[in-house]
Amino acid sequence: MTTLLDPTSERAATTRERAARPATLDGLTIGLLDITKARGDVFLDRIADVLTTRGHTVLRFAKPTFTKPAPVDLRHEISTKCDVVIEALAD
Amino acid sequence: MPPLDLPDGLVAIVKRDCPTCVLVGPVLAELRDRATDTVTIVSQDDPTFPEPTGGALDDRDLATSFALDLDTVPTLLRIEHGRETARIIGWSRDQWESFTGVSPLGSQLPPYRPGCGSLTQDPAIAQRHATQLGERALQARRLELGNDEDDAEAMFERGWSDGLPLVPPTPERVVRMLTGTTRDPQDIVAIVPPDLVECTVEKVAINAVMAGCRPEYLPVVLAALEAACTDEFNMHGLLATTWFSGPVIVVNGPITRAIGMNSGINALGPGNRANATIGRALQLVIRNVGGGRPGDVDRATLGQPGKYTCCFAEHEDAYWEPMHVERGYRADQNTVTLFAGEGVRGVVDQLSRTPESLTRSFAACLRTSAHPKLPLAFDAMLIITPDHLRVYEGAGWSKARFREELGALLQLDGNELVRGAAGIEEGIPESLADVTLPKFRDGGFLIAHAGGGAGLFSGIMGGWASGKMGSEVVTREIRS
Amino acid sequence: MHDIVNLESAGVPGVFVASTEFIDAAEAQARALGANPASVFVPHPIQDRTDDELRALADAAIDEIEAAVTRDRGGQ
Repeated sequence: MTTLLDPTSERAATTRERAARPATLDGLTIGLLDITKARGDVFLDRIADVLTTRGHTVLRFAKPTFTKPAPVDLRHEISTKCDVVIEALAD
Repeated sequence: MPPLDLPDGLVAIVKRDCPTCVLVGPVLAELRDRATDTVTIVSQDDPTFPEPTGGALDDRDLATSFALDLDTVPTLLRIEHGRETARIIGWSRDQWESFTGVSPLGSQLPPYRPGCGSLTQDPAIAQRHATQLGERALQARRLELGNDEDDAEAMFERGWSDGLPLVPPTPERVVRMLTGTTRDPQDIVAIVPPDLVECTVEKVAINAVMAGCRPEYLPVVLAALEAACTDEFNMHGLLATTWFSGPVIVVNGPITRAIGMNSGINALGPGNRANATIGRALQLVIRNVGGGRPGDVDRATLGQPGKYTCCFAEHEDAYWEPMHVERGYRADQNTVTLFAGEGVRGVVDQLSRTPESLTRSFAACLRTSAHPKLPLAFDAMLIITPDHLRVYEGAGWSKARFREELGALLQLDGNELVRGAAGIEEGIPESLADVTLPKFRDGGFLIAHAGGGAGLFSGIMGGWASGKMGSEVVTREIRS
Repeated sequence: MHDIVNLESAGVPGVFVASTEFIDAAEAQARALGANPASVFVPHPIQDRTDDELRALADAAIDEIEAAVTRDRGGQ
């Protein structure tokens, strides 16, 4: 295990910072990323319905396989089209 | 492991790998039987040694030996009320008899044998111990990387990088970096903008490791940071400006040769580790400790590549006195001079054979710095090269004479500078039409000498808003 | 989880949803990645649930999911 000394003022946490959150989802595009495990689609369909009912824009994406991280192209597409992303459903 | 808790009485420190210790093994057993004091034996290399005493306390980690600052084994100590009150080293029958109060002692041994070196004197072991002690003294927060984290990527992810790869700041590397200075790691070097954070020598060392510095560069980085964080230099303003400038470090004095800085061919370019990493270390401290990041506080419209790093040594073995001497330091002092510089651009003059002609070339080019119609607003540095300096040397012009003649050529007629003049809306207010104004304020024009021996070119580095409006040039002595 | 960590690096706020069976693994994975992605856990198991049951899980989780990616709802 590598130990590094913090070069900063130590005012922030050492874990990677999360991206800044929008105040609300109003007017934003929400990406739903299906990791393609069995039955996850039923769950995501419902999430999509609820979000759409609440007036949000929803885009659906699916990984080719849940066993690997999403391909770079898919990640890039999500990051250019979506303001936030929800990934489901791991079990 | 902490050092052993040694009981009052006599304590002997020995190692098997020492013939004198082997020799005194039976004497120690004899002391155990006959001395009124408690006798404690400590072994540096093998707790089963000495056999006659049935072994010893284990000091294979040498914590006790280092705590006692031993240089020889055997060493015999007297401990009273938990403190050492006397010690003798090696084997001398007379000394041992009077020290222990047991006589006769070791009568079968020769009367005298010198001891051997304590294991703590082994250079590799001493070095490792110093590193461990140094690492324990470090105060910075430690970050254990995850097993799946790549160390290079982890540093980018945490926002520590200027965009280029960094050297991972491990405790071992930081301790080694700190050997470059005599200053205490917890000394405050400066209050670093924009977040106004107290920055310790240790934090500078961490960023210097990441920048790729060698330990001997650290004093230069420390001095540069001190200079950058003065009110006069105004690093906060320099960071926040939309203008191109960043801190440019000119290093003077014998240290430039000692640490192998480049003042010659490609002095402002790549290829020299000291030049490249000292300037980068300063920028990394401002980024990481001060919190000054491009896009946040750093609002530069375009920026410039010199903001990764810009540091060079002046070529001092020349006709004109070096920059630090001109600024009031002795030639044998080591200094950094900080200038809020933009990118460098070239001045070509391959035909001037007289100082009068060459000075006119410089004046014509310097006048255009930032804008040909703006006087007094921006500072500049001329980096004159050996081929051009020879012209002045040949004619016997001192640096002061050059300054004077150049200054006269850079007195600008207000009529040429006012808004609308020459069909250019940029310019000074109409009311100044009848005034003559100098291009540069007093103290706003620097001259450095550097560069390779061939090339009838010099360099101009524009500055930033001058003086109290922006940044003053600041020189600081480099301390060890 | 890699995907959310990667997308967060690209500036896209994200949350990943998993079953409670995944809590320990998620924590270990986050530690290994040196990251702390937002996560919402729904009761295990998943794969043998009826569609209605899965939809009920979604209904129960939606507010927490939304909160994880918005500021006003408590995400950070």
